[in-house]
Parts: sequence; structure tokens; C-alpha cells
Amino acid sequence: MAWRIEKRAAGHGAAPWWTLPASFAMALAVGALIFALLGHNPVAAYGAMARGAVGSFYHFSEVLVRAIPLMLTGLAVALAATMLLWNIGCEGQLVWGGIAAAGVGLFVAPHLPEVLVLPAVILAGAAGGALWALIPAVLKAYLAVNEILSSLLLNYIAIIFMEHLYFGPWRNPEGFGFPGTAQIDEVARLPHWGATRVHLGLGLALVLALLLFGALRRTPWGYRVRVIGHNPQAARYAGFRLRRHVIGVMLLSGALAGLAGMAEVSGIHFRLQQGLAVGYGYDGIIVAWLARLNPLAVPFTALLLGALIVGGEQLQSSLHLPSSISMVLEAVLLFGLLLSEALARYRLVRRASAQPLRRQGEPTPP
Amino acid sequence: MTSSPPAVLELSGITKHFGDITANRAIDWSLNAGRIYALLGENGAGKSTLMSILAGRYQPDAGTIRRQGRTVRFQSPAQALAAGIGMVYQRFMLVAPLSVAENIRLHGAAGRSRSDRQGASIRELAVRYGLAVDPDALVQDLSMGERQRVEILKLLNRRADILIFDEPTAVLTHTEIAGLFEVFQRLRDEGKTIVFITHKLEEVMAVADEIAVMRRGRMVARLAAADVRSQHDLARLMVGREIILNVDKPPAAPGETVLAVSGLSGPAGSSRPGFEEIAFEVRRGEILAIIGVAGNGQEDLAAGLAGLTPLKTGRLTFKGRRWRAPQWGRKPHEGIAYIPADRDRTASVGAIDLVENFMLTQLAVFSRALRLDRRRAAAATAAAVERFAIRGGGLKAPAGNLSGGNLQKLVLARELARHPDLLLAEQPTQGLDVRATEAVWQALLHQRAASAVLLITGDLKEALSLADRIAVIFRGRILDTIAARDSAAIDRIKLLMAGLETG
Repeated sequence: MAWRIEKRAAGHGAAPWWTLPASFAMALAVGALIFALLGHNPVAAYGAMARGAVGSFYHFSEVLVRAIPLMLTGLAVALAATMLLWNIGCEGQLVWGGIAAAGVGLFVAPHLPEVLVLPAVILAGAAGGALWALIPAVLKAYLAVNEILSSLLLNYIAIIFMEHLYFGPWRNPEGFGFPGTAQIDEVARLPHWGATRVHLGLGLALVLALLLFGALRRTPWGYRVRVIGHNPQAARYAGFRLRRHVIGVMLLSGALAGLAGMAEVSGIHFRLQQGLAVGYGYDGIIVAWLARLNPLAVPFTALLLGALIVGGEQLQSSLHLPSSISMVLEAVLLFGLLLSEALARYRLVRRASAQPLRRQGEPTPP
Repeated sequence: MTSSPPAVLELSGITKHFGDITANRAIDWSLNAGRIYALLGENGAGKSTLMSILAGRYQPDAGTIRRQGRTVRFQSPAQALAAGIGMVYQRFMLVAPLSVAENIRLHGAAGRSRSDRQGASIRELAVRYGLAVDPDALVQDLSMGERQRVEILKLLNRRADILIFDEPTAVLTHTEIAGLFEVFQRLRDEGKTIVFITHKLEEVMAVADEIAVMRRGRMVARLAAADVRSQHDLARLMVGREIILNVDKPPAAPGETVLAVSGLSGPAGSSRPGFEEIAFEVRRGEILAIIGVAGNGQEDLAAGLAGLTPLKTGRLTFKGRRWRAPQWGRKPHEGIAYIPADRDRTASVGAIDLVENFMLTQLAVFSRALRLDRRRAAAATAAAVERFAIRGGGLKAPAGNLSGGNLQKLVLARELARHPDLLLAEQPTQGLDVRATEAVWQALLHQRAASAVLLITGDLKEALSLADRIAVIFRGRILDTIAARDSAAIDRIKLLMAGLETG
């Protein structure tokens, strides 16, 4: 037994550089295999995807449109995960952001001066998401309820409640029976960039990414969040109030996801209707992990995922492949990243006899 | 002793390092069939490491193990078990929702025998060795003593004939301990070899045939239990005589009382006994040591005083302000700097750099409004690195890369930088090499001029080198407080630590 695989002694510092390229390579390879199994030339299929995503200005603007909610939910997941909180509830928080934005746009806006309408809609979106996130936050902080389950299950409640609104009390009376609310006024909509569907939400998301990056690295609050994420025991030792931070971080995370819902309502659909909850909340998890939870990297990974989604839709029209192929690729990308990060924790050693001094969860050698 | 029967296991020159620390140094030991061996020593003496080497969990850096004359090298516990050597760890390795028989079968070679036959053979083993336990009972319904019996049955079922126990009595009640010792004797009479780790002298005297004493990684004595005249001899062997006061210590000039406690007990909301009726006072300008063998309540006391775990009853006066124990709270107090025993997981964050670790307990100092003042923190860290000669990759290196000594110096520098009124240092030199130990000791002595120092330690040499007064804690109570200048008191402290004398 000359060689053996051993766990690295310390998991400190960044994962090696090669994990991201390795996961891309793996995703491409698995995708190619799937294309081949479906009877298509992988090169042609990837070419069609690439053309679909960046082949023209219009196509690229559609990638940006998809990237906006992905950036916001990606930031939401990244912030929570920095403190070891798993906010799987971004989808529900997004929905509540949309409900609140639509509600203010429909029912409050007529009573407000015009300049205040859009700020009110944006704030309502953030507040809607934050309040929905408050439920798992309080359950976690005071009753130690696992936030993964509570936030996930609340997604379904949020979606059903939204459907109730646009099928029922908020349904547009002049909508010829279509499920959906009336359109919000022009003043309650996010301004658009030229003739595209790209809206102000893009600027908002980019500014928030910068702010979050700065806040996590340069403020005492961000420092505490990072320390709690790395080592809750040390945080308790230092006297940080863990409950308060759990609630604060979940509120902010929910607000970010709520803004994504607001952006979809106020920037794209202009009403509450089917097609708001299409999985951006869950995609945010992938965006955040590909970005290694770094807020500055989130816009780029959101673009990447946006391109994957738009490119996948093109496959449907040009090669008549199911568009769900892009979801498969997303999943393989994430698995590849997790796998290569897990592999990076091991190394090949020759006749190792040295053991790490202490490993968590093991009896301590004297 | 009988006329030298062949050794079933022979260790020679076993040496094991963990980084800078030598846990075992050139250990020779031979074990015979049909004997009960006690391996005695303080915490950190290297007992568990040595036993883990025997059981295949660690591989020695040097030395050989011979099993019935043949040299063996175990790469895993499974290989050691295949050679008939099994270990019962302090934390039992059982699957709670499964039955006793299932646990035993799980441990054996998979699918080797039918379950009904297995049940019968377990009963047979249980009867033979007096290990009463129902094979069909679920492990989660068993007491700790019964679970231990399941662990023993697991090993017997695999035909182990050398059974190693890591502090087997720690989790047992008094009656269960008596029962365990009966099992030991029965196993011995059947020709098995028993090795058990302990630091409790009365247990050694009660059941052992042979005694080996370890101290600081070396095996300092091997003797037959029949030759031991008193527990006092054993206590001296265990704690050692090499008290070298090589720290230049000017006499203390005690000032005002910084912390006084009385009738303190805790921790609240825990089933552990913890500590009771603790009373002491510590003044500015003096070092008070609370010394005890690990597990006598001093860990809980330190966490309670530091404000990390709630206290149950008693009163505290800190800087003239009076507190009732429950109000002392769960939050660190301004004016108390705490150096916890666990520097890796409590006192520091491995993934962030030295500067950020230096901010951990001084966040208010290094932040202005909404901004972290990293530049000022970096300057302060650089000064600390310079003053304490902290080596390990510079200010931007993750703290997890530092060696134990360098990390401890960083923690110490940080806590001293807070200018505390009370410095609470728990096992501050545990696992450190000589140079780092000296540096920490010098810093603690230096700090005595500015604040009150409460040193909680298990290391008598440390207490004697630094402290002005030494309080001995045993089973959660302070038995006596002794002036450290009184050199005649050293023997008494050892006896108090071993619980052989009362205050």
C-alpha cells in the first residue's frame, strides 16, 4: 500500500482554482452525452445554444432579463449561506415581493404623488420578501427549527396564496376571465433600456451586489456575519448575538429575494399572473454556489445561468429538444462544483503516517 | 508475578508525534495473557494515543509491535481486531435504533451467520462472561453500563483476546463500576488481557494486576499492583517530581479585589454535576491558580465565569459591583479577558486572517461607525506579532495555518491588548512546546502587574511556577487554597488533586 488518499489536514483558505473549470468541463461532457443519446450532434447542439444566448443583441438582452432576478436571488442565498443559513425559501420570498409590489402598484399608487410611486413599489417588494423570510428566521432563532425545511415549505404556501389572489379577489374584472390582476400603471413600472425588456432592476441588482460585498468585508456587521458562518462557537465566545444576526440576515436575504419578485412584476409582467414563480428562487442557490458566495461574482454567474436558460429555450425551437435540457445542465454544473470541491479536500499521499492533530467530531488525542 | 509466561503483545520503542508535540516517546511495554493492566496518567500524558496505536487507529512514527512474537503493523482498527486486539472507546460506537444483536452482527463480518444462531451465540457469550444483556433489546433503551457490555460483546464476538478500555468508568454509576470490574476479572480468568486507561487511583487499586504510569509521553513506571504500598506513591508517580521553578517571579503586590465569588454552582440547566460551593477572591497584582485533574468541574467553572454558560446559584462581586449568579448572564463581561482552553475552535477562527482574528474580541475598538478600521487593526496585529514573535505566514495568512504555540500567542496578545481587569486563562500552555510555554508564562506574569489573573490549569508545574496562591478543585469543589511559596505544600497539592486528602 504505497499510495493512499488522505483528508487534508486543514480546510482553510479558498478551494483550489481548478474546481470551477472542472465542474464546467463535467457539465459539458454530461450534456454532450445527453445530446448524443437524444440523437443530436453535441457540437451542433452547443452551437445552437450559444447562438440562442449571445447570437444577437436581442438574444443577449434576453439573457440580461433573466439574469436580473437570478442576481437578486443569488445574492439572497449567498448572504444567508455566508452565515451558514440555508435560505431555500427565495422562491416564496420572491412571490411575496411580487404580491406586495403588485398590491402597492394596483391599490396604493393611485393615492400617491407620482414621484413616490416607484420607490413605494420597490420598498414594498423588499418588505414583502423580508416579512415572509421572518417566519423561518424566528422559528430558527427561538425554536431551532431547521430553516431549510421551513423556508422550503413556505414556498408552496406563498405560491398558492398568490394564485388565490389572481384567480380570486385580485382578478382583473376586465380580463376576459384570464387569471391575473389588472396591469399596474406606467408610473409604477421600472424604466426600460431602449426597446429591450432590460429594466432598471439590472442597475439595482448590480448596486446591491457592490453594497453587499462592501458590507460583508468592511463593516462590523459583515465581520460578525462571516465569523458566525465560519465558527459559531468563536462568535459566542466573542459575545456576538447569534439570534439577532440570524433574524437580521434572513430579513435582508428575504428582502433581496423580494426585490427579484418586485422586478419581475414591475419590470416584466406588470401584473400578478402565472409565470412569476418559475424557479428563480431555486436557481439562486446555483448562482450563489457557482459564485462561491462572493457577491461580486454573483452577477457573472447569474449571467451564465441566464445564458444557459435562454440557450436551452433555443434548443427547443431549433432542434426540437426539450428545453428542460438547460435544467439538466444547471444541475450537472452544480453537482460538478460540489464534487470537485469535495475532491479538493483530499490529497494523494505516499505511505502517510501523520494524522491531522484534531478533526472535528473525533476524540481528541492527548 | 508468575514465571514469565510468553508475552501476548510487546511494544518496543513506540514513538508518536503530532506536529511539534511528542505524544509517545520510546515506549516499551509487554502484556501477558490473563492479566488486568491499568494505564495510569494525567490528561495529556499520552495514554489514549498509545492505546489508539495498539488498536490500529494511529500508526507509530517509530518502534515495533510484536503480537505473540511476530512483528505486526496495523493500518486500521479492523486489522488490529483481526489480530485479536479490540478497543472500547469512551464514546460508544453503537447504532441506537438497532437491537443489541444487530449491533453485534453489524460489527462482525457481514452475512457470516444466520441471525437466530447469532442470537444464541450472543447469549452464550453473555452468560459465560457475566455480561447480562438482552440480544433483542434496542440499544437506545439501554443504560450506559449495558451499552458498555454490548461494546464488550462486540469484541468478544470477534474473538478479541486483548481488550482495551478508554476510561471505562467515566460514564458509569458506582454499582455499574463494580459490575464492570467483575466482568474484568472473569475475562482475565478466561485468559483474556485487559488494559484500561484511568486517572483514578482507587480503581487501579481495586482491580489491576499490573500498573503502568505515563507522564508527558513517557512510561515512567511499570509495577505489579501487589508491590504498591500506598496510593500516595502512585499519585507521586503520576504527577511527577520535576518541579522546576525556572520562571523569575518577583513577589506579588496584591491590590484591590477584582473578583470575589461565594457559593457558586453551575452550570445551570445541565445534568452534569459541574461545580458547587465555589468561593475565592482574586486581587489585582496576583495570580490565583485553580488546579485539578481534568474533568473535576474546572472547565465548567471557567466557562461560567467567562459568561459563556449560565451559572446556577451563588454571588459574585466584580469590580465592586454585586451580581447574583443567574444574572451574571450568558454574555462576556467588559473587563474580563478570557483565554479558553480550546484555542482552535473557540478562541480563533481558522479561516480568517491574523488581523481579523485580532479583532474578534475587540470589534468595538476597531470599528468606526459603520466601518471596520482594518488599517488600525493591522498595525496593532503587527505590533503583537513583533512583540510575541508570532511566526506563520504574515498578517494575511489564515489563522488556521499557525502552529499551536503561535496561535496561542496571538490569542494571548489579543486578550492582553484589551487591558482587562481580570485575565481568565484556562490551560494556556496545554500542548505547547517549551519555548511557547515560556513565552506565555512570561506574558501572564507580566500581566499580573496590571490586573488580576485567574489561572485554571491541570498542570502543577505551571501552577507552581506562576501562581501566588493555588486552589485545588476536586469533584467540583475547592478542597483547599494553599500559598504557592510554601514548598512543603507541594505534596499536599498532589494528594488533594488525587482526592486522597480532604481540605
